[in-house]
Formats: sequence, C-alpha cells, structure tokens
Amino acid sequence: MNNQTKAQFIAVASITSELSAVMVIAKEISLAAANAKAIAFRAGDKAKGFQPITDFINELAKETIERVDTINKLAILLYQVTVTEFRKTLSFHRFELVVKMSGSAVYADSMLGPLEEAKNEMMDCRRQFKRDVALLLAQLEAVMHHARAARVIAANSRIEASQAGEYLQSLQTVAESVDNAAHTIHDNVQRCRMALSLFRNS
Amino acid sequence: MKSTKIYEGSHQWIMFGRDENKPNYIVDSNQYIVRTQKRCLLLDPGGFELFAPMMAAVLHHAPVEQITDLFASHQDPDVISSLSLWDQALTNAKLHAPEIWEGFLRHYGCESIEYVPIPDNGGTIKLDSLELQIIPAHYLHSSGNFHIYDPQAKILMSGDVGAALEAPGAPMFVDKFDAHTEKMRYFHQRWMPSNQAKRAWIERVRNLDIDILAPQHGRIFKGDDVKRFLDWFDALQVGIAV
Repeated sequence: MNNQTKAQFIAVASITSELSAVMVIAKEISLAAANAKAIAFRAGDKAKGFQPITDFINELAKETIERVDTINKLAILLYQVTVTEFRKTLSFHRFELVVKMSGSAVYADSMLGPLEEAKNEMMDCRRQFKRDVALLLAQLEAVMHHARAARVIAANSRIEASQAGEYLQSLQTVAESVDNAAHTIHDNVQRCRMALSLFRNS
Repeated sequence: MKSTKIYEGSHQWIMFGRDENKPNYIVDSNQYIVRTQKRCLLLDPGGFELFAPMMAAVLHHAPVEQITDLFASHQDPDVISSLSLWDQALTNAKLHAPEIWEGFLRHYGCESIEYVPIPDNGGTIKLDSLELQIIPAHYLHSSGNFHIYDPQAKILMSGDVGAALEAPGAPMFVDKFDAHTEKMRYFHQRWMPSNQAKRAWIERVRNLDIDILAPQHGRIFKGDDVKRFLDWFDALQVGIAV
C-alpha cells in the first residue's frame, strides 16, 4: 500500500470518527433547545424574546443532524471507493507484472485487454474519489455554516437571557452550552475538511 | 514458475510450481490446469503472491479469454486468495468451489466470476466434451473439501491429501516412496483432523482407476506409488493435536 492510499484510508476513517462526535453534540444542542423552551415557557413574558430563539436552535440542531447523517453516508461511499481504488490499483500493477513476465508466451498479447481495462477502472476510481471528496467538502462547509449560525444565536440568546429576571442563570447556561457545542462542531468539521482537502487537487 | 505436462491425450494436464521467485515466507504450492480445445480449467490457482507468475505461465498454454473455469478445493489462502485478481482479469469465468464456503470465499473479491457452489455430495465439471468428476473429501483437511478426478487421464487432483512441505526445488515426482513418507507424515497427522473422514475418502478413492495422484503441495505420485500412498495413509493416525 503506497503512502497516498494509506493517507486516503486514514482520512476517511478520521472523518467518520469526527462526524460521530459531531452527531452526539448536535443531539445535545437539540436537548438544550428543548430545555430552553421549557424554561422560556415558565418565564413567560420575561423570556418572550427567547422563545423564538429556542425554536430556531432546535431547527438548526435538526438540520445539522440530518446533514451529518447525509455526510456519514457519503463518507461510507468514499470508503468503498477507496477500497475499490486500492484493489484496482493493485490489480493494474499485478497485470503489468504478468505482461512483463509473459514476454515470450504464445498468448501473451491476450493480457493486454485486461491490462487496459484495469488501468481504465483504476483511473475511473481516482476520478470518482475526487468527485466524492468535492461533494463531501461542500456538505461539510454547510455544517460549518450551521455552526457559525448557532454561535450567532448563542450570542443573541445571552442578550435575551439578560432580560429574563430570575431565569437569567438558566437561560445563560443554555446559551453557553449552545455556544460550546457550536464551537466544538466547527472545530471537528474543520478537521474533517483539512483531512480531505489534501486530496481535492492531488 | 516451472511447468510440467503430466498428461497429453485429447486434452492436457499441466502442473505449475517450484517458482524460484516465490518469497520464502510463503509455502510452495502446485497449481494445475486442464486444457481442452477451447477451454481451460485452473485447479487451486494459488495465492495472491503467485497470481502474476501463474498467469504468465498459463499464457504459454491458453489465452485469457479461454480460461473459463476455476476450481478451489477449499477456502485456504494458498488455494485461492488470488481470486480478486482472476476476477478482474477473466471476462467470462466460473468458480467451482464448495457450497459451504461461498460467503467466506467472496471476501477475497468475486464480482464478475460466477460462483458455482458444489453441493456436499460433489458433481461434475464439463469442459468441451470432457467431464471431470468432483469427489467429496470433506475434513481432509477442510470441512468443505473436494478433489477432481479425470477418468480419461486417470488423474486425481487430491488437494492437500498426499501433500508434503519440502525444501525449494524438490523434484516434481515421488521417486523413493518410503523416504518420501517422512516428508508427508507430520503434515497429514497435524492437518487432517478425522480418521473417520480419512477412511471414507480412501474407500471412495480405491474404487477409482488412478494413474496419477496430484497433490497441491510437494511431489506427484505415479503408478504403484498411488496404491502405496493409499495404504500408507490408511494406516496413519491423524488428528494428533488433541
């Protein structure tokens, strides 16, 4: 296995790991939104500005979960493409060896067709890998966009929380947890993008 | 990879092995082909490392498109771990292999080759007008195991039965039977698990008219050495590791 292939396998595996962490955090945001909604309901008029924010947080968490789910499926496809590419590359090199070793054989030429076919399939896999990487990067960018939006919402939540009287502490905690979660998601997704961007133009 | 023609009639049997370029860390194995007018069957085509020398050697006898059939006596890597490469090289081929190993063998990669599952009681493989018999040899050593008998050539390809693990460059044929038994003893006692299975196989095989017994490792038995081997194996206690 050459270094490029090893790096591909490692990148795909690390994406899957990062994304599973993102999924857990997105679910935590969803829970924080439900919690915030209950507090805002109890706070009544004092947290009037906070109520629509909780819906927005919840919506954002849901969208993030759906998108991460899609990205996970894409990552599995990318893994399969990586395995296929590895196999096709290996076959191509073995077929090259056959052609080299069978120089004087009566039927040596009959191997040229499979060699050409293996080369084409290997190149197809490489192109497919690049296409899938581009697709995955676009999806990851969308999740980062969500994470940035969540941080803005967290900032607004803090402002609204400051007007919620005795509920200030609880709502600020909610805002804090949304902010932390969004921050972590941003970092994890950023690591995924960095792992993949190596292959965008390779 | 050396090749030796072991039968020539209306069809041919060719044995391949003793590859000088084989890495030392893998066991030496014998591969066989049965070549008819328009088709070619590979018997226990070998491990992944052997694919290139094996294919290059076969191309002296048949073009790629006429390699139409593969046979795997059982699931071991030295028998068939090259499957994914044959799968990509051959455009129209079948793999005849034990039914119980299908889901396992497919782990090697088998997408374009058609898997023809061999039921426990065996069957036949037709190559042009030649009909080969698939002889059950379960538990010798694998739980799903078959050998190939050619009634025209009177050859029994016997997989691991009759095998010997020898130094590189060993002769192709057994010349001194008694001395050769020492090279087979431990292999058969340790790899073959069942005396009952051994007796059933010997009983079945004694009914076949065999001139050549061709194992997957070591030397080939010819003429009277075939009967000598069956007698020796009959008397041997196997399954010694328990």
